[in-house]
Amino acid sequence: MMPAANPTLIQNPLRQPADLLRRYTIYAVIVAVILAMSVHLLVYGTDWSRMGSPSEIAETAISLLPNLNFIPKIVSPLLDTALMAFWGTLLAVVMSVPVSYLAAATTTPSMIFTFPIGRGLIVLSRSTHEIIFALIFVATLGLGPLPGILALACRSVGFMSKTTAEAMENVDRGPIEAIAATGAGPTARFLFGVVPQVFPMFLGNAIFAFDANVRRAAILGMVGAGGIGLHFSEQMKSYNYGNAGACVLAVVILVVVGEIVSNRIRTKLISG
Amino acid sequence: MADNTADLHKIYLSGRRAARLVKYGAGLALLVFGFWTVSFLEIPMDRLFGLFGRLGPMLANRIFPPDLAYATDWKVLLSLVETIEMSILGAFFGTVIAIPLAWWAAWNITPNRTILYPFARAVIVLCRSVPALILGFLLVAIFVFGPFAGVLALTIGTIGFTGKLMAEQAETIDMGPVEAMRATGAGPLKVFIFGIWPQVKPAWSGIIIYNWDARLRGSTILGFVGAGGIGLHLRLQISQLEYHAAMGIIILVVVLVIFSEAMSHFLRERLR
Repeated sequence: MMPAANPTLIQNPLRQPADLLRRYTIYAVIVAVILAMSVHLLVYGTDWSRMGSPSEIAETAISLLPNLNFIPKIVSPLLDTALMAFWGTLLAVVMSVPVSYLAAATTTPSMIFTFPIGRGLIVLSRSTHEIIFALIFVATLGLGPLPGILALACRSVGFMSKTTAEAMENVDRGPIEAIAATGAGPTARFLFGVVPQVFPMFLGNAIFAFDANVRRAAILGMVGAGGIGLHFSEQMKSYNYGNAGACVLAVVILVVVGEIVSNRIRTKLISG
Repeated sequence: MADNTADLHKIYLSGRRAARLVKYGAGLALLVFGFWTVSFLEIPMDRLFGLFGRLGPMLANRIFPPDLAYATDWKVLLSLVETIEMSILGAFFGTVIAIPLAWWAAWNITPNRTILYPFARAVIVLCRSVPALILGFLLVAIFVFGPFAGVLALTIGTIGFTGKLMAEQAETIDMGPVEAMRATGAGPLKVFIFGIWPQVKPAWSGIIIYNWDARLRGSTILGFVGAGGIGLHLRLQISQLEYHAAMGIIILVVVLVIFSEAMSHFLRERLR
């Protein structure tokens, strides 16, 4: 600490000149980087001559207002979207059991062979966008909700397995040891020692994954994987902006309802 | 009244039996619902079972040697840089807007519960409920093709994402310093800066970094609808059925996302 000039004055160590200089340098660098990127992307990267005048922009925005007459036609694809999310989540839940078994350091059969496989699957699933999975499955399976379901399952299995594996690594060893002391084998130890501790969190995460999957399912149709996204992109491409706006309204309603429902269920699960 | 243990045990058992009946009934209903949805979605089961037969050859022939020479072309790499810039700009602008919104949308610290609180909540919910790809498509239609629409879409996504998390975090703070500040007669802004900000800063920094990571994932795909970034190249290659080149781009994107995830993890660990 630097000796204070006036011993009665208490100095804030974070206000030393060196620290202040360092802090403001960091701020300056951040601002400079943001400015440089803005200039590069937003000033030079954007074709400003093609951007309409304010009145044209307003006109397009108004033409996007939902055409309510179109709503009855998209109820069925909206239901498709919700069901795709449901099945995708269910498949992910089923798939996450073996994957998290492999990826949890406490349960994996071999730290050298199976543990990296489990972790690798999790990383691959979490870092690949659902659209990319959908593209691969559409190419192999054709159009329709089936590739969408598989894409959602592949996308959310990483989240499910990661949280479950972490929970399994952090379980309380007491019950497991107590069960082992009765002479129980590894299966019984897992079923009665680990599963009851992990299960409530697992269920909560499954509901969270469903909520996220509803959002994801809404766009999968844009690459042909079923649901409302297909109608949205069709209407956009044929410049029926009013109808496209109706699709967006439907998606917003679906997502908000999904979020409210899943929040309800989750708080109920947590409170018992 | 049950005054001996046998009666108590009977009551306990009957309660458990009823609970179990409800549980199994719900499970059965879910199963029936699930199988009804298969017919509703018109899922061709034969295709599902033929999946593995087709996925193998397709991965081997059409996808497998990923065209990394194309993916490391300077044009593609430049669009990758554009993607990163879009994510940083979107995350930055969105966070700047989200900080006051989160302050207003936290019930315990909001300066005004009748107007600002519902307003901020509504903005955050609206921003959250539109998937990024749909938003990008709409903004490209309204404004202009290119990264401008992408940055705007990411900004809106950030507001929804960080706004909710930050507000939830702010609702758990210690109200003592806030009330002490209020008791001195400080205005809402001063209460925020000196009573609330120091408490929420560590958690909010974590949320901001995590949000950047999430936006980077979203920005890799925004080019699909012409909103800038590497997604455009992916779209082009897919439309031309150049799966080798598309796979090269996908690998590039996955590497980028894994790198960003590692970086965000490292930064958040350092904050702690």
